[in-house]
Amino acid sequence: MDGLALASAEALKLLFTGDPDTWEIVGISFLVSFRAILFIVPLAVIVSFALAYGEFPGRRTLITIFNSMIAIPAVVVGLLLYMLLYSSGPFGGWRLLFTQTAMIIGQMILAFPLLVAMTHVALQGVDLSAWQTARTLGAGKLRAMFTIMREVRFGLIAAIVTAFGRVVSEVGCSIMVGGNILHETRNIPTAIALETSKGNFEQGIALGAVLITLALVLNFMVAIFRGRDMARH
Amino acid sequence: MSERELVRFRNVQKTLLRRRVLDVDELVVYESECAVLHGENGAGKSTLMKIIAGLIAPDDGIVTIAGNKMSWRLAYRSFQKDVVYLHQSPYLFDRSVAENIAYGLRRRGLRRNAAREKVNSAIAWAGLSQLASRNARDLSGGERQRVALTRARILEPRLLLLDEPTSAMDRDSREQAFELIRDLADSGITVYISTHESAQYYQPDRIIKMANGKLL
Repeated sequence: MDGLALASAEALKLLFTGDPDTWEIVGISFLVSFRAILFIVPLAVIVSFALAYGEFPGRRTLITIFNSMIAIPAVVVGLLLYMLLYSSGPFGGWRLLFTQTAMIIGQMILAFPLLVAMTHVALQGVDLSAWQTARTLGAGKLRAMFTIMREVRFGLIAAIVTAFGRVVSEVGCSIMVGGNILHETRNIPTAIALETSKGNFEQGIALGAVLITLALVLNFMVAIFRGRDMARH
Repeated sequence: MSERELVRFRNVQKTLLRRRVLDVDELVVYESECAVLHGENGAGKSTLMKIIAGLIAPDDGIVTIAGNKMSWRLAYRSFQKDVVYLHQSPYLFDRSVAENIAYGLRRRGLRRNAAREKVNSAIAWAGLSQLASRNARDLSGGERQRVALTRARILEPRLLLLDEPTSAMDRDSREQAFELIRDLADSGITVYISTHESAQYYQPDRIIKMANGKLL
């Protein structure tokens, strides 16, 4: 118990004295996950619109597939990506394995189905007549999309925040394709796993505290946005 | 009503879930006419209107505009900007009444200041001055319909399609809506109204009866 208290005190010291290693890891985590979400959101939104308002065979099957893919384990995505990126793999020549780019790609894959499913649900909250109204009033397809995105903004933000929360805390994919390299690809979850295995609980607890705080903040944000979304419909 | 033809539709067909919901041999829309598409629910009125507005594609159909025959797809590209369709329960965006009315103008490239002037006079025309800054979502059914009509009118479309415009209104709101619609028709806009109620409320130039997806 004393050990835990001591480790927690050390952890707080690391955080509040601005320990460069600890905050660098936090920075890498946020940067990688932020970029992953930034790059994948446009595609996810387009796919969600197609699923919500498009008329094509297999639409319902695709919705089911995306809903099912939310639960895909991060480590499985990591494994598949590893097989594609390792030196003898089909994309080995790109030399992406154990880079932040590989981590970003992995997190994009993880976030994609979640973003599509949640955005699709948000879009279902507005009637097809919203799309048709924008179009009949002269909006092109892209402008109509932005109009509807504004209509479902709270749901859309909730989807983005949830997806960010999912990818920033995942360990399986990041450790497999990132390699947990200090100053390069070591992020919060992989650092916690490493430091704990070495018996260095202080940094693990400090980083864990950052993740828990982030999770709380994100959940509060999602709750607020969901509440606003429901109040508007 | 003039005898000048605005647009002619031929052999317009639509099948949904393997059921032929629309099979129109010919429909000629004349400039400045006020016509009522009259028929029971499920007669195909809304489908026909949405096809005319370019919101859904027919399986087949030939359109003639200014003497030029073309496919629906080609026709709707040039014609869509001249048509505005209003849903039975009009969708108002989650923004103020004034912003809702300005929406179409802004999409047609009007700058904010230029749009504001037109919006203000349209708001006055519709008697919506006191509601201009209210969020459109907070309005009653009748007020929503007036906002939607104003939003359509301000675009000065050549053809305005109103789908059951007064079906969900109380008596006072209906009277106000009839008045606005008659004003629109008198202003020279071609107005097509679908309804399953008495067509006479709208004092149309023409009543087109529909049943089972066909014009009678």
